[in-house]
Amino acid sequence: MKIKDGYLLRCVAGSNIVVPVGEGSMDFSGVITLNGVGAFLWKCLENGSDKETLTEKLTAEYDVDKATAAEDIDDFLKKLREAGLLDE
Amino acid sequence: MNKLRVADLNVLIKYKYETMLKQAPVYACDFEKADIAISIPDSELEALQAENPHLSINDIEYIFTGAAFYESILDFDGIMLHSSGVCVDGYVYLFSADPGTGKSTHTGLWQKYLGSDKAFIINDDKPAIRLIDDKIYVYGTPWSGKTDQNLNMREELGAIVFIEQSKKNFITPISVAEAIPLIMKQTLRPRELDKANKMLDVLDKILTETPVYRLGCDMSREAVELSYNTIKRSN
Repeated sequence: MKIKDGYLLRCVAGSNIVVPVGEGSMDFSGVITLNGVGAFLWKCLENGSDKETLTEKLTAEYDVDKATAAEDIDDFLKKLREAGLLDE
Repeated sequence: MNKLRVADLNVLIKYKYETMLKQAPVYACDFEKADIAISIPDSELEALQAENPHLSINDIEYIFTGAAFYESILDFDGIMLHSSGVCVDGYVYLFSADPGTGKSTHTGLWQKYLGSDKAFIINDDKPAIRLIDDKIYVYGTPWSGKTDQNLNMREELGAIVFIEQSKKNFITPISVAEAIPLIMKQTLRPRELDKANKMLDVLDKILTETPVYRLGCDMSREAVELSYNTIKRSN
C-alpha cells in the first residue's frame, strides 16, 4: 500500500503538515497535521510499504514494542483509509 | 504596458480599466528589466467575465491582475495573506478572517482610537509579505479588495491575528499547528509542487518568527486596547 499521489509532507516551523498539490488539491482543500510518528509512517508509505515492514521500521526507529507499534500503525492506516489517502 | 514597482519588484503590467487606473499610478516607477510581467488578453478578460456575470470587466481586470501578481511573488519569497494590515510605530499587524467578519472594521477602530496619524492601513485586504535579507516585510499593493486603502510602503511584520466576532473580548496566542490551516485558508494555494514548496518555505520563516493570535472582539474601545496592548512590539 502507498500514499496516493498529490500530497506534500513538510515540516513548517516545527509542525509536520501535509498539503494537497496537483490533482489532489482539486477535491481536498484542508491541511493535515501529523505528529512525529505519523510523519515517520507517512514517509515510509510515500514509496509504498506493507504492515510488516512498517512495524519493523517503527520499532527500529522508536523505543516501542512490537504489539504497541502494530496498534499505532493500525490506527494510522485506519485514519488514512477513512480520509481516502491510501492506495491499497 | 505600464511599469510599476510593487513589493520591491519591477512589474510590467497591462491594464486599462477604472480601478487599476486609479490605484496603480502611485506605484509607477521606471525600470529596465521586469521581474514580473502581467498581461491578460482582452479575450481572456471577456471570457472570465462571462463566467462571472455579477462582476464588471473592471472588477475582473482588478481581481485577476491581482491574482497573477500574488501567484508570481511565490518566486520571490513572497505570499499574500487575505487580511487588513494596520501599521503602527514601524510594524504591521495583520488581521485576517473570512470576508464579512470585521477585519477592516477592527483596523478602522485602531485608527479611530490610536489616531489616524499613528495607525494607518497599509493594505485593507491583500497585503504582500516578502522575506528580504532575513527580515519579514509587509507591503502595500494596488490590490486592496473593495476599498482603495493601500499605501506604497513596507514595514516589518509585527503579528498575525485571526479575528472572530464575540460579545466578550479575548485574545490568545495560538500554536503553529493551529495557525497553519488558518493561514492556508487565507492565502493563494498553488497547485504546482514547486510553488507549494516555495509557499511553505515562506510560511516556515514567518511562523518561526512571528507571533500568531486568535482575537474575539466586538466594536468597542476595549477591544482595540486589548488587541493593541497584547500584540504591540517596540523597536
